Amino acid sequence: MAAGHMSDEQYKSAVSAVWRATIILAVVTVGEVIFALTLGHMLPKILVNTFYVIASFSKAFFIVGEFMHLKYEKRAFILSFAVPIMFLLWAIIALAIEGNYWNHLNFPK
Amino acid sequence: MAEVLDIQEQQTELHNHVPTPDNGEGGEKTVFGISYGKTMMWYFLLSDAFTFSAFLFSYAAIRLGQPWWPNPNYVFKSFPFMGEANVPLGFVSVMTFVLILSSVAVVRAVQEGHRMNQKGVALWMLGGILGGLFFLGCQAWEWTHLIQEGLRPFYNPFGPDANGLTHLVHEKMLLSPGPVAFGALFFGITGFHGFHVFTGVCINVWAFFSTLNGKFQRRGHYEMIEKVGLYWHFVDLVWVFVFMAFYLM
Repeated sequence: MAAGHMSDEQYKSAVSAVWRATIILAVVTVGEVIFALTLGHMLPKILVNTFYVIASFSKAFFIVGEFMHLKYEKRAFILSFAVPIMFLLWAIIALAIEGNYWNHLNFPK
Repeated sequence: MAEVLDIQEQQTELHNHVPTPDNGEGGEKTVFGISYGKTMMWYFLLSDAFTFSAFLFSYAAIRLGQPWWPNPNYVFKSFPFMGEANVPLGFVSVMTFVLILSSVAVVRAVQEGHRMNQKGVALWMLGGILGGLFFLGCQAWEWTHLIQEGLRPFYNPFGPDANGLTHLVHEKMLLSPGPVAFGALFFGITGFHGFHVFTGVCINVWAFFSTLNGKFQRRGHYEMIEKVGLYWHFVDLVWVFVFMAFYLM
């Protein structure tokens, strides 16, 4: 019996979507830790960090999209968050490059 | 015709400063098809993301500006009740997992709210609160442990010599110190995140008791649980990036 604003079928599919997202998040987190303890020591630093960034962003997409329900909202609403976040990402990249430059400046190899 | 009347009504209201009959959740008009309250919670979270980004900007710039940085596999290798055992990243993985599960519990509470299932909402909110408290406890343990090892906002004992080669048994046995900013950034960022977890738990406790009192049941919808949940998921979301920046990279 659907007591609220949601039919039985909607409810069932919403619940299974959430558990699926949970399993994916758990698998990605465990994968990251296993990677950090094994391949993380062997592969070049740039590859390792790229893996972490991709894994973390995929987790972020599941949390924001599924848990926070953003992927079911209107496109304009989604864009009003995606665009400022893009600028923030650019700023982080720019400052990482700048920090690397300070490193070369202060500690020449 | 109804729309015209609506607009007239609004204008009169603006002119007279008479508030609309309120359901306690904000205005009646919506932008983007979701309620005013939820929209504003989203924009608050965006502004909160800016604050966390400012922390991450400084972290990226300072860390890459150093010739050397403490190895997280060494710094975060301790596990409660396991003495000197070497469990790199073990404890923080448990913390991360508990925070994710706590977030899931709150999603389930929101879904039960759509079904007007008061008991279900209360039960899952309780799960979310317990997860949050567990996380805070873990963080308290981790901070205490690192402070015992000599980490301070202005002092970092994890120098190049401590890079997985030697055990810091006592504060007196400090080796060459590492980049000073490590402590400030660690306590600043995890502390600011922990403060968010703390406020989130407080808000969840309030929502839990309001649910038990039947406040939302009488109101006819559980939108407040959705708003509280948005904040709680944001806390989980930030942790994903703190985990990446401090514990993995």
